[in-house]
Amino acid sequence: MKKKKLLSLALTAVMSMSMLAGCDGGSTGAGTTGGSTGGSSGGVEEISFMVWDDLEASSDLITKGYKDSIDRFNKDFEGKYHCTPITTNLEEYYTKLNALVAAGETPDVFIVSPGPNLNDYVLPGTAAKLDDYLNADGWKATFTSDAVFAGGTYGAEAKDGAGIYAIPLNIAAACVFYNTEMFEKAGAAVPKTYSELLTACQKLKDAGYTPITISAGTAWCLSMVAGYLCDRNGLNLQDVKDHKTDWKDEKVINAGKQIQELSQYFQPTAAGDDNDIATAAFYNGEAAILIQGSWAIGQINGSCTDPEFPSKVGVFAFPAVDGSSADPNRVIAKSDSLAMSSSSQHKDAAVQLMKYFVDDTAQKYTAEQGGKIPVTKVQYDESVAPPELAYVMDVFKNASATFGFYNESLADTEAGSTFDNCFVDIFTGTDPATALDPIQQYYEMNVW
Amino acid sequence: MATMNISMDNSVVEKDKTKRKIISIAIYTFLVILALIYLLPLLWVLMTSLKDDAILMISPWAFPEHLMFENYSYAWKMGYLGRATLNSFIVCSITLLVSMVVGSMAAFAIAKLRWKFSKLMLTYFMIGMMIPIHCVLIPLFIQFSSWKLTNSLVGLIIPYVTFSLPITIYIMVGFFESIPGELFEASVIDGCSVPRMFVSVALPMAKTGFMVTGLMSFVSNWNELLLAMVFISKETVKTLPVSLTKFVGPYHTNYCQMFAAIVIAIIPTIIVYCIFANQIVEGLTAGAVKG
Amino acid sequence: MDKLLRKKSNIILFLAPAFILFTAVLFIPICKAIFYSLCNYKTNYPIEFVGFDNYVKLFTLDTTMKTALKNSLFFMIFSCVTQLFFGLVLAALLTNIKAGRNVFKNIYYLPCVLSSAALGLLWMFVFTPKLGINKMMESFGWIDDCANGPQWLFNTDGFIILPIIVISFVALWQYVGQSMMLYMAQISGISSDIYEAAAIDGCTKTQAFFRITLPLIKPMVATAMSLNAIGSLKFFDLVYNMIPEGFLGNRAHVLATHLYDQAFKFNKLGYGCAIGVVLLIMCLIVTFLINKFVKVESYE
Repeated sequence: MKKKKLLSLALTAVMSMSMLAGCDGGSTGAGTTGGSTGGSSGGVEEISFMVWDDLEASSDLITKGYKDSIDRFNKDFEGKYHCTPITTNLEEYYTKLNALVAAGETPDVFIVSPGPNLNDYVLPGTAAKLDDYLNADGWKATFTSDAVFAGGTYGAEAKDGAGIYAIPLNIAAACVFYNTEMFEKAGAAVPKTYSELLTACQKLKDAGYTPITISAGTAWCLSMVAGYLCDRNGLNLQDVKDHKTDWKDEKVINAGKQIQELSQYFQPTAAGDDNDIATAAFYNGEAAILIQGSWAIGQINGSCTDPEFPSKVGVFAFPAVDGSSADPNRVIAKSDSLAMSSSSQHKDAAVQLMKYFVDDTAQKYTAEQGGKIPVTKVQYDESVAPPELAYVMDVFKNASATFGFYNESLADTEAGSTFDNCFVDIFTGTDPATALDPIQQYYEMNVW
Repeated sequence: MATMNISMDNSVVEKDKTKRKIISIAIYTFLVILALIYLLPLLWVLMTSLKDDAILMISPWAFPEHLMFENYSYAWKMGYLGRATLNSFIVCSITLLVSMVVGSMAAFAIAKLRWKFSKLMLTYFMIGMMIPIHCVLIPLFIQFSSWKLTNSLVGLIIPYVTFSLPITIYIMVGFFESIPGELFEASVIDGCSVPRMFVSVALPMAKTGFMVTGLMSFVSNWNELLLAMVFISKETVKTLPVSLTKFVGPYHTNYCQMFAAIVIAIIPTIIVYCIFANQIVEGLTAGAVKG
Repeated sequence: MDKLLRKKSNIILFLAPAFILFTAVLFIPICKAIFYSLCNYKTNYPIEFVGFDNYVKLFTLDTTMKTALKNSLFFMIFSCVTQLFFGLVLAALLTNIKAGRNVFKNIYYLPCVLSSAALGLLWMFVFTPKLGINKMMESFGWIDDCANGPQWLFNTDGFIILPIIVISFVALWQYVGQSMMLYMAQISGISSDIYEAAAIDGCTKTQAFFRITLPLIKPMVATAMSLNAIGSLKFFDLVYNMIPEGFLGNRAHVLATHLYDQAFKFNKLGYGCAIGVVLLIMCLIVTFLINKFVKVESYE
């Protein structure tokens, strides 16, 4: 017995010792991918790129496009530059990015949403100013217009002064996707107003369909609808920021009541379904309406097994609220953007990489496969592009103005998260007037 | 009283026997049912990890029709679990070795060397058992960031060793104290120095202690999630529990692969446990009774 | 001999590594945490001393903190009570059976050594609305549609919401073996002479358990309870892996997840430290109370 014990102990020790070699290999390996701090080994400039999805495993077509851009970059610059991606899931993305920034290992290039998230990197000077690179070689002229840079443009409040700090990659517009076949069978009409939407939902429900599929589990999905409702009720975020109105405004409370009204048409598991499951319920023909950003097109076409399904999909703009004077043609738009680390040792390589994300191949892919709106003047083949994109483009062209996701347009990231949570509360049945307390309080404490 | 027992007639004894039998059957039934509650979920994970996702959605509790070993290769490759397993193994083994050496040395100083503050010192180390890792997480993260120790295995090993120390010292002090002083006196007469005494007399006597503390620190570090999650963001240095979080949330598109990942994560501890279960129990007993 | 064992250089040699490590990685960071908790500290921004601002916010304005405190305290009380009860019952039953004691003991202790991150994923799946337990209930005919069954992890009604109760049962399942083991260790340390003497005096097994076993293992009850209490206050893995982030708004937060979110998601490191300090103080108070309370009783 004693001998056996000693033997096993010795075995553990030997095994651990033999692993020491492996450990050294591991830590040096991590060192070289260390982005801005990493040296160049054998003349190859190593840069890192951080993204919020798993490039290898994701079935999302936009993510696959990102992977393709990196592969092309690595192939074309073989022996000169090399890019190693750092991937996380979306939920942990900013946490991990902040951790790397804190450790002085900011990735050379990282993806980021314009708004308070980008502020966190631009204001303290983590992200580099990109004007010089954009103006060189007419790079800037390849983009559709200067307007696409709006989200990445900062004034004097940025540590490095006024300029452009982020390059947009694509634009997505949030629309209402619907199953034309179900609408037809239920005799429902495409709604122009909120009350028509309720009527359509009731008809769908009477016909035995689940009218709306939504994820309240993934808070931003619900919050996107909430954002639309607030806007359609006439809420102006700038007024909130300037404290001309507050979160207990009639308009917000109305939006809350409308969420509760709509929630009777949600699938019964809405509270527990995440975004993927909710979207799957739409492309598997279980529900008639999906309110989503146009990135859902990439998801639908990437995962849907029924080849007939895409032809059944229709798109309409989020309906107006009856009796409100708010402009019903405003559209929620969101662009993924790239920022570059100001401490990067390999800025040229980083800029080259960014160019691969917005070159013609990448942008054509964005439109034709990914279903997002390209940011450059690239000519894409509309017949190849998913039919939904054309509908989204129609909605987008008719838009009088765009506005961001509410949770990415508020004072800071925590305010956005608080807003999300308030509406999850409202969805679960809390009276809107009390459910809005946290966001009201947050603004009283931190903003006003 | 004793006379009463003897004077009990046969029928009472018979009755007592049947009653005892019924009680013992009831106890065993309860224990078996409970054991099933413990084992079935684990067996079910194993079964599901070999299933096809589509079939899982229809009948999650049925046996798999075809064994899908691809789930494992997928989880291994896409979840970077191979790398993560290796990392976990490296971290835990080194932590185990270092904490045992450092911990037993301190325990020896506390238990056998003679100085005024040894009790106080023990208390100082014992406080560590009450301190939640969360409290030091942020300062450690800031400190290690500036030392460039985040995203490296060394950065995990240092705090893991530290957090294994209190329990190691606690148990080892118990073992060292039980060694009779005469043994040391004999070695002193033979001309042993204190370090020699430690290596040749104290350590061999406390083997069971090593086994227990080693296993406990291995198991707890193998499973540690929070610190590893905060410190590590790069795929190449992630440990197993952190890699598993990849399968949570919006990206767990395939449940069966998630289950394969769970199996990969728990199999090593189950094996270690099956081999050493009795030692763990024995050691826990020894440690608990002494403390 | 004595001189040798008193030699300062030996003491320093043996103690220094552990002492330095312990002080540098545990003690100094605690002091730092207390300092940071009095500051407004964000990565990339300069540190700004704000006094007790963070604590004031934490206890007056932070509604999530209230939820987190409520949930953490519930976990603590639930686990102390249930683990004491089931741990003792199991220990009593197992010490009294003849065959298969080790088998059962090892089975019940098994989940304690498994990764709670992995087990969290397992149980999350078991409680998923459309699959898992609801599907089983449907096939038994207990509920008509699995989607309409109990929303185990997503129901938000009540003072203590259902997901928290579900998780606390999972925690009981996972960790009751630990308590059982500690009690058994203590019980096996009790000399059999005492029981024999009691049996001669006509004491039944049940009586023996309450009159002899229980008083003698009281010190271990204190230890096991403190371990439970601290363990459940620190609770992170199961909650983090069973309830994906953003689900349920903020209602399923516990202290540890709240700390993680505030410090690392919203980059409020100082605020996170304040939560950490509160957690530390709670752990110390609880340990103190349990030890005092249970020990005093044992002298009676």
